[in-house]
Amino acid sequence: MAEVIAQSGFTGKQTARRATTFALFPRPTAKTGLVSWLTTVDHKKIGMLYGGFAILFFLIGGIEALMIRTQLMVPNNRFISAQLYSELFTMHGTTMIFLAVMPLNAAFFNLLIPIQVGARDVAFPRLNSFSLWVWVVGAILLNVGWISHFVPSWNFGGAPDVGWFGYAPLTSKSFTPDLSTDFWVLGIQVLGISSIVASLNFIVTIINLRAPGLTMMRLPVFTWMALVTSFLLVLALPAIAIALVMVMFDRNFGTNFFEVSGGGQPILWQHLFWVFGHPEVYILILPPMGYVSEILPTFARKPLFGYPIVVFSGIAIGFIGFGVWSHHMFTTGLGTVATAAFALATMAIAVPTGVKVFNWIGTLWGGRIVTRVPMMFALGFIWMFMMGGLSGIMHSAAPADAQQQDSYFVIAHFHYVLIGGATFALLAAIHFWFPKFFGRMVPEFWGKLSFWIIFVGFNATFFPMHFLGLNGMPRRTWTYDSNMGWNEGNLFATYGAYLLGLGMFTYFAVLVWSFFKGEKCGNDPWDARTLEWSIPSPPPEHNFAAIPTVHARDAWWYEKTHKEEIAQEKAAHIKAEESHGGIHMPDQSWYPLFAAIGLLVGAYNLAQLHYPVTMFGQQVLASHLPLAITGLGLMVAACYLWALEGPGGYHLHIDAEGKVTESRGDHH
Amino acid sequence: MTRIRFDHRPFSRATRALVAGLGLVLLSSCKLADVFDLSGNQSTMLTAGPVAKAQWDLFMVTVYVCTFIFIVVGAILAYAQVKFRARSESDEHAEPPPEAHGNPFVEIGLIAASVALLVIIAIPTLRDIWYTHDVPEDEKGNAMEVVATGNQWWFKFEYPSELVKLPNGGEAPLVTGNELVVPAGIPVRVQLRTIDVIHSFWIPKLAGKVDMMPNRANFLWFKADQPGYFYGQCAEFCGESHAIMRFRVIALSPRDYAQWLENQKAPARTVTPALLADAVDRSARVQFAAMKRNPGEALSASPAFDADPLNAWREMQHPEVGENAQLIATGRQLFAAKTCVSCHSIRGHEGIGISGPDLTRVGARSTIAAGVLENTHERMHAWIKDPNHFKPGNKMWFGGYNVKDGDNWKPNFTMNDQEIDALVAYLHSLK
Repeated sequence: MAEVIAQSGFTGKQTARRATTFALFPRPTAKTGLVSWLTTVDHKKIGMLYGGFAILFFLIGGIEALMIRTQLMVPNNRFISAQLYSELFTMHGTTMIFLAVMPLNAAFFNLLIPIQVGARDVAFPRLNSFSLWVWVVGAILLNVGWISHFVPSWNFGGAPDVGWFGYAPLTSKSFTPDLSTDFWVLGIQVLGISSIVASLNFIVTIINLRAPGLTMMRLPVFTWMALVTSFLLVLALPAIAIALVMVMFDRNFGTNFFEVSGGGQPILWQHLFWVFGHPEVYILILPPMGYVSEILPTFARKPLFGYPIVVFSGIAIGFIGFGVWSHHMFTTGLGTVATAAFALATMAIAVPTGVKVFNWIGTLWGGRIVTRVPMMFALGFIWMFMMGGLSGIMHSAAPADAQQQDSYFVIAHFHYVLIGGATFALLAAIHFWFPKFFGRMVPEFWGKLSFWIIFVGFNATFFPMHFLGLNGMPRRTWTYDSNMGWNEGNLFATYGAYLLGLGMFTYFAVLVWSFFKGEKCGNDPWDARTLEWSIPSPPPEHNFAAIPTVHARDAWWYEKTHKEEIAQEKAAHIKAEESHGGIHMPDQSWYPLFAAIGLLVGAYNLAQLHYPVTMFGQQVLASHLPLAITGLGLMVAACYLWALEGPGGYHLHIDAEGKVTESRGDHH
Repeated sequence: MTRIRFDHRPFSRATRALVAGLGLVLLSSCKLADVFDLSGNQSTMLTAGPVAKAQWDLFMVTVYVCTFIFIVVGAILAYAQVKFRARSESDEHAEPPPEAHGNPFVEIGLIAASVALLVIIAIPTLRDIWYTHDVPEDEKGNAMEVVATGNQWWFKFEYPSELVKLPNGGEAPLVTGNELVVPAGIPVRVQLRTIDVIHSFWIPKLAGKVDMMPNRANFLWFKADQPGYFYGQCAEFCGESHAIMRFRVIALSPRDYAQWLENQKAPARTVTPALLADAVDRSARVQFAAMKRNPGEALSASPAFDADPLNAWREMQHPEVGENAQLIATGRQLFAAKTCVSCHSIRGHEGIGISGPDLTRVGARSTIAAGVLENTHERMHAWIKDPNHFKPGNKMWFGGYNVKDGDNWKPNFTMNDQEIDALVAYLHSLK
C-alpha cells in the first residue's frame, strides 16, 4: 500500500483528499506494441480497435449475406441446408446490428466526441477500455457456436438459429434444446452491458468535458446525435436485458415467463423486445444522420441549414422512437385501438425525419458543392434514405402492412434504411475521417469507383425485393417453389448482391492500401469546420496542445477566420495549464481487460451451466457452475483491484518548440 | 483560407464502358419485366376478396402519396445537386457562399405540408383497420367459422359446426389438413391457434396475415369473391422448415361446397374387389357444376396443374382409374404396422393419432407435405421414402422413422419400394 497526494483530474491542482492505492499489476506505460493496445485508455486507440473489429464482423456478416443470396438464387436450391440457413440469417442480422453498425458508430463516438468537445479523453478512460473488451466478449459468445460445424466435440448445436429477434416460444428449451440459444442470450446480454457502460461514459463526456464556450447549442450535430443515441441506449437496453434474463431463467431454471405449457405469454417477449428493438433502429440511424450533417456542410461549403431544427428533430425522433414499438407487431392481434394508435404514432415519427431531409437539402441550396467521395456517399445516403423512409411510411398504414409484414417488402425497406442509410453514411464517414486518424488520403478514383459499384449493386439487390414482397414472398425462408413468380427477381437480387460484395471489397481493399501507401495529408485536407480538423493528423495522444475556447458553431471554421484572437487565447491556456502542472493524461490499466476476461469465462460457462465438464473424454465436473462462479469472481476481483489502483495519471509538458515531455508524481 | 487539396480525376472512358457493360450483363441475364412481376400465385395485387382488396387499395394510397413526395423532394434535391455543383477548380476554391443558417418560415411550412400529406394516409388507414379486423356486422349472420391450427410445419383445419360421427359413437368437428375448402361469396372467420411456436396465417390474394400466437385467441376474416384455388404460407419464422410450411385455400360455389362437405363427413373410403366391380363407384363421388376459372393468372413450373388448378383439384376428387384392391389392402396393413397410426387418423379405418395431419381424404388433396409437393404417386413415394429430404426436421422422420435413444436418434423402421408403393396406393384411394 502506498499513499499519494491525489491530483484533481480537472484542474491539476493538489487536493487535500488522500487516496489509498494498491497495484497488484503495475500500470503499464508502453506506448506501442501489443501491451499498449490491450491496456490502452486512449479514446483514439479504443476507437480504432472498435472500428477494426467492426469492419471484420461487417465482412463476416457480408459473407453470410452472400451465402443467403446464393441459396436463394434459384428455386428449390440445395446449396445449404435449412438448418444452416437459419443460422446464417440469424447471425447475419445479429452481426450487422450488434457487431458491425453499432460498434462502427461506437468507433466514431470514441474517435470524435472527445475531440469535438475539446477534451483530451472521455470522462472515464478505463471504463471506456472496459466497454471495448466487454464488447469483444459478447462478439465471441455470439460466434462461438460456429466451431460446432468444424469441431464436433464442441457440441453447441451450431450458431444461434432463432432469428435476431428470438421470438418466444421458439427460444424455449422444448423447441431449441441445444446450447446455441443460450450463447445467443448471453452474447446479447453482454453486448448490452458494453453499450450501457459506453453510453454513460459518452453522456458524461459530452455534458461535462466541453471546452470553454462550447454551449450545448454550439455542439457539432454529430456529437448531438451521439448524445441522443447514448440516452436511447441507456433507456432501451434495460428492456431487452430483462427479457433476456427471463429467457435464460425459462431455459435453465424452470420459470415460465414464456413457457406456454406453464401458462407463459410469448407475446410479452415481443413487447419487451421491440421496446428495445425500435429505439435500436434509431440507435443505428441517428449517428449516421450526424455524420451526414457534418459532411454536407463541409462539401457544400456553408453551415448546416436549420441547426436547431436538426438537433431538436433528432431529440424528437428519440422521444417518439419509444412510442412506436408495436408497429413491428401489427399482425399479432393487437386489436383495433392499439393498432390505430401505433399506426398514427408511426406516421408522426416521419415528420421529424422528413425535417432532417429538408434541412440537408437546404444545406446544399446556394452552396458550392464539391463532389468528393465522402460527399458522394452522403448524397447517396439522402437519396437511399428517402426511399427507405417512404417505404417506412407505407408500413404505417397498418392494414396494408398486414400484407407486407414479414415479406420481402420489409427486407427491401429496412435494407434501404440500414445499407442505403446507415452504411452509406458510415462509408462516407470512414472516407471522410480516415485522413484525420491515419494521416493519409484515400485515392479519389478508387473511392468513386467503389461508390458506384456499391450504389448500383445495392439497388440491384434490394429494389426487386419490393416486388418480391408484394408478390407474396415471405422472409426468412430457406427456399421457394418455382411456380410463384419469384425466380427472376431472386436471380437478379443475387447478381446485385455479388456486385455489392465486389463494391465493398473494393472500398475496404483501397482503405488497406491507403493505410500503407496513401498520400500524406495535413491537419485539414477537406477545409472542414469542426475542432478535430484543427489538430494534427493523426492526432497526438493529448489531442490538443491547448484546449480551445469556442466562440461559435463550427468552431474550427471560426478559428480559421479569427486566427489572432484564437492564438492569443491558446497561449494563455497553455500557460495556465502549465502552472497547474501540465496536461493531465490518464494512465493505462490491465484491469478493464482482466474484468472482461473474467466475464468471458463466467458467461461462457454460465451458458452451458447444466452440462458436465469433460476433458479428454473424461467427465471432470458434474456442471459448469464452479467454472462460471470462478469467472464471475475473477471479474469482481478485477473490478475491486481496479478501484484500489486509484485514478493515476501523468502530465505532459509542451515547450515553445512543440517538444513533448512527460512527468509523474507531484506537481506544483 | 485552406484549400481543399486533391486532384479531381473523373472516370476514364474505359471505366464508364466497364460499368455499362456490367449493367448490361445483369439486365440481359434475367428477363427484366419478370423481376418486377406481380402476378404470382401469392400476389397481393391480384386480389380475390374484399379484405385483400381493401389492403391493396390502401397500399396504393400510400404509394401515390409517397411517390408524390419522392418526386417533389427528389426534384428539388436533384436540382440543388446540379445547380450548385462546383464545376471547375476555381469554382471549388472560390470564396465560400454566405453563412446562411436557416429560415423558420420554410421549416414550418414544410412541417405543415408533411403533416397534411400524412393525414391523407391516416384517414383510410383508420377506416381499414376497423374494416379488416372482423366480419362486418351486417354479414356476421352469414359468416362461417373455421379453426386453423399451426403445427411445426403444417396446418390443421377444423369445421366446428360440421360434426362427424366417430367410430366410438361420439361426434367431433370435421378435420382436414393443409387444404382449407370454403364456400365462395361467404365471409369466413378463421380462428387462429397453434400447438407449438408462433406461426402466421397468410393467403395473400384473400387476406393479409395474422399471427397464430400461443395462449391468444387471434382470428382473421376473408371472403373469396369467386370459386378459386389460392396459395397460402406461414409468414412467421417457426423453425427449420418454416419455408416449406404452406397451404392452399379452395373456394367452391355453395352447392359444390355442400357436396364436398357431405363426402368429407363420410368415413374413409374402403376399396374392395367388390366395390371396384361396382360401376356406380367408378363415377365421380362428387359432382361439380361447371365453374368459372380462377381469374388469377398463375405462373407455373408444373403446367398441367397450374394451367387450371381448380379443375386439377376437382380431378383429384375422383377415384383413380385402375385401382388395385389387393395392393390397397396391403397398404392399409402397412399403415398400421409401420406406426403411421400413432400420429395420423383415417376416420373409419385405423389410426387415432392427432399429432400429424388427418388423412381420411388425403388422396383428394392436391398437395402433400403442407403444400410442398404435388400429390402424385411419384412425389408421395419420394416423400414417404425420405421425408427429411423435403422437410428437414419433421416429426415423421424424427419420432416416426427414427426414435430417440438417449441423446441420439436410432432407426425405428425402414420401408422398401414395394411397401411404399402399396402405401401410396392405399393413401391415394382415400378420396
